[in-house]
Amino acid sequence: MRIELDVELKDKPGQLIKALEPISRLGGNLISVIHLRETLTKRGRVPVHIIVSLENLETLETLLTELEANDIWVAKVDEVRRKKRLTILLIGHVVDTDIRDTIDRLNNISGVLVADMSLSMPHPEKETSALMDIEISKPDKLALALDELELIAREKGLTLVKSLEI
Amino acid sequence: MRINLVGFGVIGKGFAKTLIMKQDWLKSRYGFEPRVVSISDLSGTLVNPGGIDLSATLETVNRTGRIIDCSGASGMQSLDAIRGVEADLMVEVTPTNVVTGEPGLSHMLTAMDAGKHVVTSNKGPLALAYKKLKAASEKKGVQFKFESSAGGAMPLINLANEVLSGDEIISIKGILNGTTNFILTKMTKEGTDFETTLKEAQELGIAETDPSYDISGSDTASKLVILTNAILGREATYSDVSVQGITKITPEAIALAKEEGFVIKLIGEVEDGRLSVAPQLVPENHPLNVDGTLNVASFTTDLAGDVTIVGRGAGAIETNSAILSDILSIYRGVAGR
Ligand SMILES: NC(=O)c1ccc[n+]([C@@H]2O[C@H](COP(=O)([O-])OP(=O)(O)OC[C@H]3O[C@@H](n4cnc5c(N)ncnc54)[C@H](OP(=O)(O)O)[C@@H]3O)[C@@H](O)[C@H]2O)c1
Repeated sequence: MRIELDVELKDKPGQLIKALEPISRLGGNLISVIHLRETLTKRGRVPVHIIVSLENLETLETLLTELEANDIWVAKVDEVRRKKRLTILLIGHVVDTDIRDTIDRLNNISGVLVADMSLSMPHPEKETSALMDIEISKPDKLALALDELELIAREKGLTLVKSLEI
Repeated sequence: MRINLVGFGVIGKGFAKTLIMKQDWLKSRYGFEPRVVSISDLSGTLVNPGGIDLSATLETVNRTGRIIDCSGASGMQSLDAIRGVEADLMVEVTPTNVVTGEPGLSHMLTAMDAGKHVVTSNKGPLALAYKKLKAASEKKGVQFKFESSAGGAMPLINLANEVLSGDEIISIKGILNGTTNFILTKMTKEGTDFETTLKEAQELGIAETDPSYDISGSDTASKLVILTNAILGREATYSDVSVQGITKITPEAIALAKEEGFVIKLIGEVEDGRLSVAPQLVPENHPLNVDGTLNVASFTTDLAGDVTIVGRGAGAIETNSAILSDILSIYRGVAGR
């Protein structure tokens, strides 16, 4: 089966190979790769359009999981938008205010998943920052996720910095 | 055209300098010969129906800091000057006050009542009482223009309402305060913390001694209200804006954002009827990512798509670019040119 993928790579060297390697390993045939190095996406990533021939739907699912595990975002499969990514920053006593609870509350909304998080703790007593990548697989859940984030920030006295494109 | 000038600080003096600088050009290009017939500050008023000598006035006020020290000046208060000294137009450039709108609000209402056009850079009255001012100007059939009050030299209101007049503007977002942009840019480039960077900005004369109006987001909020009302035809006031400043931003947060390809900017935004000012993550390659004291604004429109404009949001001469353009548009309208 012929599949068109729109993926987004980090703007760093060596990313394209990370996207292509799983395809050949899973026995797929590359038909074309358009690497739009010059036009970054709104989120600063490099868009790549891949046309590939794969054995079946199962192979596709495996491929998508592998790509996403490699921090390659799959924006569209055959022109269908897959997931929305939301990047947010929380500043304050992020860890001390039960970070587990913060993540659980977001993950408890169906269609919402905290996919990645980086923390910066300059000093145990000082304020921490957490950058979260949140995947929204059901578009109508975006507003819910944002409301929950705002509620959490208010309750825990954290500063919420949202990203522009939402 | 005869002008009452009210306020003779950075912008008022810049106005006088601009008129001196552009005198010949304005005459040859537009046949425009503006005459400043009164200048008021808190100390008093200088009046000359034949046109004040702007160079001599600048020379004295640069030395003493007060209009009353100019030869021929009196203790006449600004409101009396607006009522009593005949003119076609008032330029109002007194300090912004977002709590009461004064003294600007009374100056503007009085001028309109006296049948004078009003051009201003003063944000306070606009952010608090736009509806009242608009109604007063319409009632008296005078023009009310304030391009310089939001975005300094950037021609935002005229761009949206004149040049893009066939487009519907759907949303407006941008960086409308140079001081906070300078601080965030410096924190990003040098990894310094907020307090240290603020002190540096104060030493450089970029942040005020009392920086709260800028860093709290209030200044951005006032400008956002002005743009929303003038461009989206709303009647919003300052209290409609949800405002968050930049004081909580840490160098660690900026560094984390950078790793993912984002910068943190203080963004004023009106979208779906909601007005907000807050620090936001902006992709590094996004048109709103401008550095230093620069300002930027982006309109999303139905026909033209996104239109973005970058420029100087403040400065004595830069701001007067917008004041002069407002005056010229009134002059050309009245004179039918
Ligand atoms: N600076 C900029 O780059 C910039 C850019 C855009 C917009 N603006 C706005 O433009 C306005 C003027 O700014 P600025 O920087 O020129 O301020 P400024 O340097 O503080 O000057 C204000 C002037 O207004 C006078 N004034 C104060 N109260 C008065 C009263 N009751 N009656 C008559 N005159 C009075 C002051 O007189 P005294 O000296 O006697 O007190 C002074 O001459 C403000 O609203 C500001 O927000 C400024």
